[in-house]
Amino acid sequence: MDVAEFIDAEKGLIRGEIFHNQEIYEQELEQVFARSWVFMAHDSMLPNTGDFMQNYIGEDPVLIVRQADGSVKGFLNQCRHRGMRLCRAERGNAKNFMCSFHGWNYDIGGELIGAPHGEAIYDTIDPDVFRGTQLRLANYKGFIFGTWDESAPEFEEYMGDFAWYFDAYIDRYEGGMEVVGVHKWVLPANWKFNAEQPTSDMYHGEVSHASAFQVMMPIDEETGAPKAWAMEAVGALSEPRGAQFSAPNGHGTGWFSGGLPTMNETIHRWQQETAGEVAERLGPERVNVAGHANIFPNFMMLGNYTFRVTHPRGPDEMEIWAWTMVPKSASAEVKEAIRIDVLRTFSPAGMFEQDDAVNWEEEQRILRGHVARKSPLVYQQMLGKARYDADGLPGKTVPHVYAEEAARGMYQHYADLMGGGSWPELTELKKNRELKERADLAEADGTPGQTGSNAA
Amino acid sequence: MSDSEKAKKVVHLFQRPENLKPADVPLELAYDIEQFLYAEADLLDGWKFYDWLGLMAADIHYWAPVRENRLMREMAEEMYPPGTAAHFDENHHMLTERVNRLHTNMSWSEAPPSRTRHLVTNVRAHSTEVADEFAVQSSFHVYRTSSERHQDSVFGKRFDLLRRAENDYGFEVARRTVVFDMSTLLVKNLSQFY
Repeated sequence: MDVAEFIDAEKGLIRGEIFHNQEIYEQELEQVFARSWVFMAHDSMLPNTGDFMQNYIGEDPVLIVRQADGSVKGFLNQCRHRGMRLCRAERGNAKNFMCSFHGWNYDIGGELIGAPHGEAIYDTIDPDVFRGTQLRLANYKGFIFGTWDESAPEFEEYMGDFAWYFDAYIDRYEGGMEVVGVHKWVLPANWKFNAEQPTSDMYHGEVSHASAFQVMMPIDEETGAPKAWAMEAVGALSEPRGAQFSAPNGHGTGWFSGGLPTMNETIHRWQQETAGEVAERLGPERVNVAGHANIFPNFMMLGNYTFRVTHPRGPDEMEIWAWTMVPKSASAEVKEAIRIDVLRTFSPAGMFEQDDAVNWEEEQRILRGHVARKSPLVYQQMLGKARYDADGLPGKTVPHVYAEEAARGMYQHYADLMGGGSWPELTELKKNRELKERADLAEADGTPGQTGSNAA
Repeated sequence: MSDSEKAKKVVHLFQRPENLKPADVPLELAYDIEQFLYAEADLLDGWKFYDWLGLMAADIHYWAPVRENRLMREMAEEMYPPGTAAHFDENHHMLTERVNRLHTNMSWSEAPPSRTRHLVTNVRAHSTEVADEFAVQSSFHVYRTSSERHQDSVFGKRFDLLRRAENDYGFEVARRTVVFDMSTLLVKNLSQFY
């Protein structure tokens, strides 16, 4: 199916069919998930040889396993004989993986090491035929991504300018990140509703999360009023300053110029105390860039250290796997504050999370309606306001945190992939698109390659 | 704490010897404890959350660990240990914030308010080293409907420390561990109390 008829990214009009249609969903599994880089694991989840975890690319289960030589391998969690799931645990430690159907046995790299009565019943056991389907992996600063597509660009090329923004989340402090836990749950809505939010939608916070901000605000015991720093943090929502970035491969991120508002005093104090250190490490313009972000298709993060994958489970269901990660170098007190803050905000019991979920659920439900799907949804915030490499920000940005440039970018890339063009074709298409956009901007503005530099 | 130290600390709550021994409180006390738990359930189902908060001790710890599918040989580790992944890890102040949220008229996940039924069963009480404190286990089924046609069910088990208290119901909850009978939560949220 040609989804281009539902997506007009240039005008910012998108029809709800793409969230509802079963045929489009099947096409996503093939054209989007099987061809993209998807988050698989973090180094700290697999400290020892044989440590494994299960993850998914779309609906395909994979096993990610730490090898004896310290490397990590990934392969389809499926026996090559009858397609049974090899391992049914979420994680653990294993010396091998034996299929419980007929007993085919695979080593921790996915090589077949034994099939009962194999020599008597097979002429040859060709490793290329019997091996677990191998996944291509990349490790970026401890974050392991996987793709089935050998023709996909290298991971860093796939991220492009987004790497600069990604580092603001994961490389703020010496020593990188470590995982403290996970939440997994199921929502009755399309995976893209979740993905587009950290890609592009900071706009919802003021209303969707009004109740959580209100009740979590720390109170000054002497005056009985909310503490001044917290009032200032929440004030950013009603007088927003900041920006949004959109990548040609569908990634997006947005941030308030004062940073992501937190209501946790320990975290707030730590952020203030370490701002100088972060500025030295990343440059002053990146200190507050960690708002929210998505690496297309479905690896999301917030500046409060929640990281998640939203797995598609049919057009009208998603499964969220959300990890809490903390900077390794942070104090025990700060790590504990982050753990508690994340579980109370962005877990299934989290006071922010559950108000997001009800929005997506109702959107999904309504899109059963014919007219609801036919009437285009409006993604036009900051339309025509994009500029390149402005204000020290690499790539394409718009100078407002409430914007939909990154959503338009996400759905443009989605439409590109769904069109079925090869990765080399897509890369060429995106290069030419950007060159044209830069040229048009230069012409309109008289400045080569850059325009509209009105710092927010 | 290293991973191996953590692992040693975790014992599957359902398999701990102290949780499996026969109940040992007298009949009348057992009855009073059951009635307390039923009254608590009615306060929750009646959206009398501030009254419910009054039954939570000032020093309460309300904790619900995350569970995972683990191999049989790693079953002791299927519940995340304290200090790691949890659905709730709350003191009284934190619970109060959650209750306050439900009264802001902007807690969209509970707008319009859902209808719940807390069914509490399998109540077993043990005396403790402290005369006025009792270790009470109970199983629950929280059935919920909301909006036009949403419904879901949450099953689980609670390990409470109840303390005699000067209130209408005779006890307060000094500690509660809620263990949901799910790894991946098959419900859209945990917007209620369990």
